[in-house]
Amino acid sequence: MQNNFVVTAVIASHIDDAMQIARKLSITASNARALAFRAGSGALGFRPLTDYINRLATLTASSSFRINQLACDLSRTETEREKTEQALRYFNQVYQRAGDSPYLESMNPVSARTEQRQQNLKESYCAQINLLRAELETLAGELRAATMLVTMSRVEALQADSIYQHSLNNVADNVEDVTTAIKQRIDSAQRLVLDLKKQL
Amino acid sequence: MKTHKLYEGRTHTWLMFGRDGEKPEKIIDTNQYMVVTNDNALLMDPGGIELFSAMLTAVIKSVPVDKITHLFASHQDPDIISSLGLWDQVLEGATLHSPWIWEGFIRHFGMQNITYSPIEDEGGRIQLDGVGLEFIPAHYLHSSGNFNVFDPASGILMSGDIGAAMDTDDAPLFVDDFDAHIPRMKLFHQRWMPSNEAKQDWINRVRELDVKMLCPQHGRIFRGDDVHRFLDWFEALEVGLVGKRLQAAS
Repeated sequence: MQNNFVVTAVIASHIDDAMQIARKLSITASNARALAFRAGSGALGFRPLTDYINRLATLTASSSFRINQLACDLSRTETEREKTEQALRYFNQVYQRAGDSPYLESMNPVSARTEQRQQNLKESYCAQINLLRAELETLAGELRAATMLVTMSRVEALQADSIYQHSLNNVADNVEDVTTAIKQRIDSAQRLVLDLKKQL
Repeated sequence: MKTHKLYEGRTHTWLMFGRDGEKPEKIIDTNQYMVVTNDNALLMDPGGIELFSAMLTAVIKSVPVDKITHLFASHQDPDIISSLGLWDQVLEGATLHSPWIWEGFIRHFGMQNITYSPIEDEGGRIQLDGVGLEFIPAHYLHSSGNFNVFDPASGILMSGDIGAAMDTDDAPLFVDDFDAHIPRMKLFHQRWMPSNEAKQDWINRVRELDVKMLCPQHGRIFRGDDVHRFLDWFEALEVGLVGKRLQAAS
């Protein structure tokens, strides 16, 4: 089983992947808008869908950026927590070894301060996990809605002029590929976050 | 970890920590030094992470932990200062004196509470309760930014890696037979010290000081005439050797 600070780094890496992929969705949204404009009356039903694709792209990008920051914060907090825990382990060794030291009591304020810091970091860690979990859930919900968008795009592509059908289907395929790829990263991150949450 | 009192004067004491019989295997044995004055203590080259608990245990047998107000790192090596992140959690408000060129590097060990006081290339000075200690330049011996600490009152020069020897963990504290000691330090100086010019520069500087004890970070301490024997030996030694040149000189 991996240490939590490794797990939090893996979560941050999944979200960073998702953020990179989300940029592709913005390109797809721009292409879809340009295509709908060019098709004009030949793809009238598709035009409103481009607004949804654009909205999804914007939302996914901003949400994954926010989640990425949260994941990085969580990773930093956990690393700090591990460092503080390591210090406490060393302090315990000192207490065991230095039983005859005339100045052992001078370690008490140091130990108390470090334990308090450990407690503060633990509380931050819990709060960050809960926040991260909620943000991931929100983004996962948006991505579930993307399935509907893909289906509607395919239907509208079928009803468009035949010369645009292939390109419009390509747009639907791109939206599906990108959202599926993002969803996979989000699912992996959610599973890891859930594991961490269970340990709290 | 053993503690030895090297000097006890009216105003201050020099302690040496080392010969740690419980240190993990394959870790080079290190000597740590501390100057204790009335209300303060300067801990020099406090060592690596692996030695931290042994060091802290040894230190609080001599002084309360909040008395350590100053740290000194002669250079950036892990056996010198990789424990900084842990000391940082112990010593709130302490000051670390170290070469200015290493600040950005040493901070990688973790430093949120301790203040970094950069030492300029020319050296510097610190006053602890009226006790003056000098930072003596020892650049390129072996690190490109490197200092010794000299105490004019006791004549002790904490010389970092200069004078270091690869010795056993239970080696005596002082060099007692200089010629017999040479094989323990020759290769180290030939291979680790990169510059004959820097070496001569340092020797000239140190010859002007009244050094009674030369205290390296590894191995035994030189005192009395052995200090001068070391300077003469080091002066004649060609350094910066590697490969065939090193083999030929061995």
